[in-house]
Amino acid sequence: MANEQIFVGLEIGTTKISVIVAEARADDQISILGVGETPSRGVRKGEIVDMETVTECVREAILDAEDKTNVEIGNVWVAITGSHLASFNNRGSLVLPEERQIEPEDLQAVEVNAKEVAIPTPNTFLHTILQAYHVDGNQNVIDPLMSEGALLEADFHIVHGIKTRIHNTLRCIEDLKLGIEDVVLSSLASAQVVLTQDQKNYGALMIDIGGGTTDYLVYVDGAIRHSGVLALGGDHITNDISVGLRLPIARAEILKIEEGSAADPAASEGGIISLKNDPRFLGCDIDRNSLDMIIHLRVREIFELIRRDIESSGEGMLDLIRGVMITGGCSKLKGIAQVAEDVFEIPVELTRARNVSGATQIFEDPQYSTAIGLTKYARIVTKNIAPESMIDRLTKGFGNLFSKRSR
Amino acid sequence: MSAPSRRLLVGVGNAGVTVLDLLSVEAPGMTGLIVVNNDLDSLNASIVREKIEVSEGDPGEGFRQIDERFGKAVTGASSVILCGGLGGETGSFLLPALAILAKSSGIPTIACVGMPFSFEGKHKRELAERALEKLQEICDAVVAVGNDQLSGGSPSTAVIGEAFLLSDRTLLSSLLGVTGMLSTTGPVKITRSDLHAVLGKQGAVTHYGFGKAEGPNRLHEALEKALRSPLLTLPGKGSALKESPMILLLLRGAKDVSFAEVQSVVGEIERIAGENCQIKVGVHPDGSPGSALEIHLLASSGGVVRKPAREHEAVVSRETEKSVRPIVGTSEAGAGGSTSVPSGHVAGEGTLFPVPTNVVSKTGKKSVATTKQTQGTLDLDTVQRGRFDKSEPTIVAGEDLDVPTFLRKGIKLNPPVRK
Repeated sequence: MANEQIFVGLEIGTTKISVIVAEARADDQISILGVGETPSRGVRKGEIVDMETVTECVREAILDAEDKTNVEIGNVWVAITGSHLASFNNRGSLVLPEERQIEPEDLQAVEVNAKEVAIPTPNTFLHTILQAYHVDGNQNVIDPLMSEGALLEADFHIVHGIKTRIHNTLRCIEDLKLGIEDVVLSSLASAQVVLTQDQKNYGALMIDIGGGTTDYLVYVDGAIRHSGVLALGGDHITNDISVGLRLPIARAEILKIEEGSAADPAASEGGIISLKNDPRFLGCDIDRNSLDMIIHLRVREIFELIRRDIESSGEGMLDLIRGVMITGGCSKLKGIAQVAEDVFEIPVELTRARNVSGATQIFEDPQYSTAIGLTKYARIVTKNIAPESMIDRLTKGFGNLFSKRSR
Repeated sequence: MSAPSRRLLVGVGNAGVTVLDLLSVEAPGMTGLIVVNNDLDSLNASIVREKIEVSEGDPGEGFRQIDERFGKAVTGASSVILCGGLGGETGSFLLPALAILAKSSGIPTIACVGMPFSFEGKHKRELAERALEKLQEICDAVVAVGNDQLSGGSPSTAVIGEAFLLSDRTLLSSLLGVTGMLSTTGPVKITRSDLHAVLGKQGAVTHYGFGKAEGPNRLHEALEKALRSPLLTLPGKGSALKESPMILLLLRGAKDVSFAEVQSVVGEIERIAGENCQIKVGVHPDGSPGSALEIHLLASSGGVVRKPAREHEAVVSRETEKSVRPIVGTSEAGAGGSTSVPSGHVAGEGTLFPVPTNVVSKTGKKSVATTKQTQGTLDLDTVQRGRFDKSEPTIVAGEDLDVPTFLRKGIKLNPPVRK
């Protein structure tokens, strides 16, 4: 396998469709060659509702990316989100016929074993992500292949979703005669570039607030412990403003971006925001306190929902998290970090793609975290499939966090 | 409001006994169960306490024997729900006979029956159809579960025993659905006249859907299951709800069924059934908060609105004339507050259910649509949900999160000042 590869990440978001073309260099760095982008139409809450329109938008974004990078795009890695996605942790166990050295087939068998759980019939597995191996009760064996034992156990984080909805995304890409390398949970993609290995080891919560959905992921001890999708995002804030202040959606969106603040309205500077007349809109004066109140309540609620979900996912889970990293287009909202800190009571940082090189303005914008993350994910996965991966894994410890999606 | 109602569930024949046994296992505290059968083995094996044994042989002769016992058992019941399989000798004869008996005592009577599989032969089918016709004539409401249609939903490799079990289970859940609908109280309820309007039509086909789920997404999962029920699909035509002028929807189970949940379920059904369809909603919260939620959907297609039947009364008077009582059912339904038809009028009609006058018109479809509206078409949400009006609602712990947070928390805002 060549050391330099081109990876294309495609994110069909609620607000925009972005295509990142990146080159994986020999030193594991991702270098961004360019980005193609179109505003998104026909996507609600992260899911495709108008197939034809979305297909057209994706075509535009792909052409845009090809124009800018001079790369002919054939295969893409696709991010997927939506409230239908659900996850849980499960342990698979395999009793070996005799005490012997563990073989690669055993690892596969234990994964199959872990997936033998009832998920709703319309659902399919999206990811089975390894958390840790245990051999004969020996916890967290890094490489079970080297050890001998009679009982092999493995913990997995399993993500599943409704088959037809996942297929919608795939179909729209296949209509464009593009190949699909793999479908990746959005938050899993983002986490690859947003979180450092240290953060993954110490325990981190990553929150990606986008236009239609908020995706989150918890890493503890280098492995994914929890993931979730909330069908709430920037669109909801805009809608709240539109309803509360009786403004057209487009006006509300501009007001949110230019004047909005998620900070506690008690600390609001107050006063009045004057909206000017324009041909289709009669100007008016907006009370800043009211605007801040609308945004603050919504943002706080989103964080509280996430906190509650994490708390219910496992006892003491929240205590294992040392920091919250917020990314996504909506993370640009003023005062959002403070709200998160109030809710989670742990340090919060606004973040974006890191450990990548290329055009700076692209990876410094948190909007692109997911699309960039896809290319990084692609790099990690393809590397692990390559024959030399065994040596890599031995030297890198937690390298093999991923296993290919089962179809 | 009304005296404690005693509802009687009567399982008739082998199928009826099985269903009531399943019920006793599922809801151990349930009272008012009676099984009637001529198969001594099946009766002895049943865990239902109250048993009426019919001697083997001619069912007509057997019926005469139990006439009095059954009459005593139903005395004072607020309603009788008969349940069993049609097609066999026992069920096909005893079910209509018991229905006549119950009706003649002035007790509202409902039947939940299973129709035979086609492989059980033409004879059984004809027998079942005749019995069903009779039941529809006598009873105030009839739910007929078509086993053939049902088996279309199970894989062709299903073991034959499983097919029968599925049929029994469906019969049971329809029984629970009807019982639940009768027990609905409070502001959103299904009245007996609603039941009659949907299930009281001669020659109609019953459509029944049931779904149960728990967890944060219980509502959608339960609704999805209910909508996918094989009895709710017309072969080659999609959902049967599209053809139905009126749909009965029962939400049963968890105590914490929220306003938003009811609203979103009604919206979803409305989307499928079309705007002209009337949805009658009933909520019967009998479980703990957070427990599983059951959704029952009942509708019917075809058939004609039955004229108040007089013929069967003649049959009844043959034996049990003395036991005809003043009608109790109507006053109760009237007190419930849904339809205010003077009871004298109903009594004169000789039927227990106050049939709203406009129902007895040329087509069942049109007339039903004009009866009083319930919860179904509350128009609050369009304003509140704004741009998310047409999208799938984001519901977490029963709360519709598409509605702005400040609205749900009741925070007052300063309105914008127009220049």
